[in-house]
Amino acid sequence: MNLKTLLLAGGALLSGTAASAGGYQVTLAGIKNNGMGGVGVGLSLDQAAMFYNPGALAMVRERGVQLGGNLTFARNAFVAEGSTTQRELRNSISTPFGLFASFGPAEGKFRAGIAVYTPFGSTLKYAEGWEGRTALTDIDLKSIYVQPTFSYALTEQLSVGVGVTVLAYGAVNLQKDIALPDSYGHIELDGKAKTKVGYNAGVFFKPSSKLSVGISYRSKIDAQVEDGDVTFTGIGAAFASSFKATKFGATLPLPATTSLGLGIMPTEKLTIGADINYVNWSAYRNLEFAFNDVVGPSNFSTSKRYYQDAFTFRLGGQYKVTDKFTARVGGAYDNSPVKNGYVTPETPDADRFSGTVGASYAVNEHFSVDLSTQFVTFQKRSQSQQDLINNQTTDRIAGTYKTNIVIPGLGLNYNF
Amino acid sequence: MNTTLFRKLVPVALLGLGFTTACQPDIEDQYPVSKGSADFTRYISVGNSLTAGYSDGGLYLEGQLSSYPNLLAGQFKQAGGGDFNQPLFTEAQSNGSGYLRLVGIVNGSPVTASVTSNLAVRSASPLLYTRYDGPVNNLGVPGIRLADIQTPGYGSTQGNPYFERITPTASATQTYFQRVKAEAATATFFTNWLGNNDVLGYATTGGASTAAASTITNTDTFRLKYNRIVNVLTANGAKGVLATIPDVTTIPFFTTVGPSFKATLQSKQVPGLIVMSGSAAGGAPGYTNRKPITTADIKDAAGTGRQLFTLTAAPFLPLVGTPTGRPWRYIYGQSGQPAIGFPLFLAAYGIDTTKVFGVTNENPIPSAFILDDSEQNAIRTALTSFNTTIRNKAAEKGLALFDANTFFTVVSGGGIVTNNINNTSAYITGNLFSLDGVHPTPRGYAIVANEMIKAINATYGASVPFVNAGNYRGVRFPQ
Repeated sequence: MNLKTLLLAGGALLSGTAASAGGYQVTLAGIKNNGMGGVGVGLSLDQAAMFYNPGALAMVRERGVQLGGNLTFARNAFVAEGSTTQRELRNSISTPFGLFASFGPAEGKFRAGIAVYTPFGSTLKYAEGWEGRTALTDIDLKSIYVQPTFSYALTEQLSVGVGVTVLAYGAVNLQKDIALPDSYGHIELDGKAKTKVGYNAGVFFKPSSKLSVGISYRSKIDAQVEDGDVTFTGIGAAFASSFKATKFGATLPLPATTSLGLGIMPTEKLTIGADINYVNWSAYRNLEFAFNDVVGPSNFSTSKRYYQDAFTFRLGGQYKVTDKFTARVGGAYDNSPVKNGYVTPETPDADRFSGTVGASYAVNEHFSVDLSTQFVTFQKRSQSQQDLINNQTTDRIAGTYKTNIVIPGLGLNYNF
Repeated sequence: MNTTLFRKLVPVALLGLGFTTACQPDIEDQYPVSKGSADFTRYISVGNSLTAGYSDGGLYLEGQLSSYPNLLAGQFKQAGGGDFNQPLFTEAQSNGSGYLRLVGIVNGSPVTASVTSNLAVRSASPLLYTRYDGPVNNLGVPGIRLADIQTPGYGSTQGNPYFERITPTASATQTYFQRVKAEAATATFFTNWLGNNDVLGYATTGGASTAAASTITNTDTFRLKYNRIVNVLTANGAKGVLATIPDVTTIPFFTTVGPSFKATLQSKQVPGLIVMSGSAAGGAPGYTNRKPITTADIKDAAGTGRQLFTLTAAPFLPLVGTPTGRPWRYIYGQSGQPAIGFPLFLAAYGIDTTKVFGVTNENPIPSAFILDDSEQNAIRTALTSFNTTIRNKAAEKGLALFDANTFFTVVSGGGIVTNNINNTSAYITGNLFSLDGVHPTPRGYAIVANEMIKAINATYGASVPFVNAGNYRGVRFPQ
């Protein structure tokens, strides 16, 4: 397998899902990291460091390219308030991926690299005719960042790095039913985000062979859709005059993340990492759509989100069983940014626990394969109609959500 | 890849894939159904048109199927409830009594027409419907007042065709009370929503008629009969729900026309109107039943003003300011008297149709088109007494209470959101009220059923699941 085929394989993997971090953030970059509970800010495992901590890239000795893909199997259950009927998703699979390539002199102090990854996303397809149909039936939110990165080792112990995060591709497809007096119509919003630029920076410090620490920051980018398409179906002639919009605009914040990481290497074979991520979710106040004509009573819609900043705690480790085989295990606890009474079907979020396992096999000096699997379980979360009335958030549905996700991943590494 | 790689990594991958099929969360027992201290084995419903499932000015199969008792029974079934029989019209006669449908909206005004096919009429005069002789759990009889429940021959000689069709032919003069008593003997649960018509008939006719069905029932009579029927319902130990009577002045029948009429009068700078009040003739010379009202006193959408115009007034109000006899021909036509009597009728009421309509003593707005403030006061006084009787009885017997009065006050205030759908008391667009402006739509009945379930769950420690109101329609539009 050469670089070209790896890149071609990447083209087939274009999607994301709210999988491994609160809200619609996806922390799935680097299959090695995935096997260790998603730690990586305080480690210099491989090229995926560009995602976790660009500062660590200069400490990654190998130059090479790494391609990782995940399959997310999200399973969700919903029971409306006071109902005995359980609703389940029409199951779909999404494929968050990461591509990381680094270059630089073998003995030099810097590394340059390019990273392509999917930091935010959500894919959910609700059951036909479910109780929340007028809030949401389908959502497909995608983002792809391309991040040229430069990292420099100031000393043998201290390195810094910075990357330019380019929102190279962002897409939203949002569908819901419209309640008409005697039937339901349907609206589909489909748009592409404008290209936007932010940055990712980090510092990595390795005072001894047994200890390393890192800190990184990835800035906020507002994913902004202009001239998205609005399509109505199933609207009877009697109501057509109330649903005339053809275009929409909306902005969704892809919030800033600050991370702190610690690496401990007690022996040559054992590596333990611990990370704390802090995401500025409070940037997400309202979801607003502006339409070029009426959708129901108005050509503007706003819906309260009122997210709160949230922490994620991660712990994981790897053990080099043989020269060729490495085993990994880890776990994470995600604190949901969604407050009580504000849960929406787009992000039926709750505090989450993840358990992960992983393994690597080095086929030869240049080529190795990584596998990982994450098991994510969301805590059961209920909100009553009274909660919604109290918060003035009756544009969503009262009931109980529970979600589990399993995410197997496969990574291919080629070093040169 | 070599075989070592496969041997070591494939099991990890299979482990992952294996869990994906097993990871579907299951929260089905989120709402454990329980009947609590209630027993839904045999449920009967007592009431009037609301209980029968009357909608769009008629009783027809779809309305029957979405009557709140039928919806309740469906939910009770999950908590040990038994079969629930309704005197349904057949598919072939599914339009029952006939009803109003929306034909279109012209210049913002709804145009309705009567459905006259597939009726269940077996005799036009006297009007009789196809009989239903099977067992009946839903004893809702359109038109019945609490005052009527002990009237012998209410179905036969007194001529309520809805009661007639379910009254056994062998006992044609059976009273409603006797029928309820017989059914209550084996019932374990009941709902009772009688009493609306004891003020509604007066209200919808604008206080203009002296017919028994159009007067307000004496409050003592109401108390006596209400206590009597609840005593019968509970004699066998059955538990149940009592429902209060909504303030009829908040329904679209009275709130739809006034606001736009007021705006029109204001734009034409008409300071006030002359209307008739009450049922007396009151013609010349004193015009004792004429009542001047100011334009400002017409109740508008903001709730300012007191005077209410009926939905039936809508076609005639644009005639204000022109000499016309059309409103009076309509009013007289409603009486069913021979046309030849029209001039005598005009003379008796002191009407001169050559005079300008609506602003003169000689050609005032008919009493039937307006529920004025004094008539509203009479209704309010009676309602307060009736509802006190109902609340007291519920408390005395430890029964669940659906406070429909409070509920519909909330609805007319700001509406009620169910599953992200706003439902208000707006005519046609509000989802809750059908085309007659008085009776609920299937959606409205579903929401009423849920309110009753709330009361049942609270009183009897039960967990009866709710109806998904989003599965039921509001007003049907032409396709």
